[in-house]
Amino acid sequence: MPPNLASPDVYPMQIREENHGDTLVTIVEGHLDSATAGEFETHLLGRIEEGRRAFVVDCADLDYINSAGLKAFLIAGKKLEPIGGRIVLCALATNVQMVFELTGFDNLFTIKASRAEALASFS
Amino acid sequence: MSLPLRAAAAFAESSMHRGSITIVCKNDMAEFDRFHRMVCQFCELHDVPARALNAMTLALDEIFTNVVSYAYDDTDAHEITVRIDFAPGVLRARIEDDGRPFNPLDVPPVDIQRPMTEREVGGLGIHLVRSLMNRMEYERADRRNVLTIEKKIR
Repeated sequence: MPPNLASPDVYPMQIREENHGDTLVTIVEGHLDSATAGEFETHLLGRIEEGRRAFVVDCADLDYINSAGLKAFLIAGKKLEPIGGRIVLCALATNVQMVFELTGFDNLFTIKASRAEALASFS
Repeated sequence: MSLPLRAAAAFAESSMHRGSITIVCKNDMAEFDRFHRMVCQFCELHDVPARALNAMTLALDEIFTNVVSYAYDDTDAHEITVRIDFAPGVLRARIEDDGRPFNPLDVPPVDIQRPMTEREVGGLGIHLVRSLMNRMEYERADRRNVLTIEKKIR
C-alpha cells in the first residue's frame, strides 16, 4: 500500500468562487496541507485551463498552510506568468503571512490586505 | 484508531509534568492530527507562547510529511518516535525514524530572491523548518535518522 496521505476530515479545506468581471475570486478556507493542497492545485489549474487569467485568492479564512500549500500556489503561478495571468492574494492571517515571508513567496505574489484592494489591483 | 498512539497518549499524560512527552506514531499521515493535538496540549500545559508552538507544529508537519512520503522503500508499517522537551527558554523536538538515511541539512538552501520562473517546487518544506527553528541537528545512529530541532522561547 502506498503511504496514506489522506488525513481524516479534522481540518478540511473548502473552495468557493465568485466572479468579479474577468477576475475570479477563489475563497480558500481551512487548512492547505499535504492532505488538501492537491485538490486546491487541481482546481486552480483547471480554471487556468478554462482560460481564466486573473485570480484573487481570498485567504481570510485560511487557518494554516504548509509547503504543500505553497507548492500549489507556485505551480499555478508558474503556469500563469508566461501567459500573462497572475494571482493576487488577500487577507492572510499572521501565521500564513509568515510562511509566505519565510519562503520569499511574498515577492512572487502580490499580497493585499483586503479583497477590495486585491480586486482593485486588476483594474 | 491506532494502538501505538493511544498507548503513547497515556504515557504522555504522566510525563507532561516532567517537561517532556514521547509520542510514537505510525508512518501514516492519518496519525498526524492526533499527534498535533498532543503536542498542542503539551505546549499549553507549559504555557509555550503561540508563536513558538505554531513554529514547532509547522516544522513537525514538514518533517513528518517528509518521513511518511519518502523515507521508506517498503510498504510496511514503521514507527516514528517524537520526543518533545520543554525547558525554560527552549522547546526541542527529537524525531527518530528507521527509514533510509536522509540528512535534511544536506538539502541545498532555497534562494528566496529568485523570480517565479527560477523557483524550484521542491525543498520548501526543509527550508521552512530551517527558517522556523533556531537550531537543527542530524545524526544517523543505529540505522535510524535522528533529527533534533530547537526553538528558542523569549
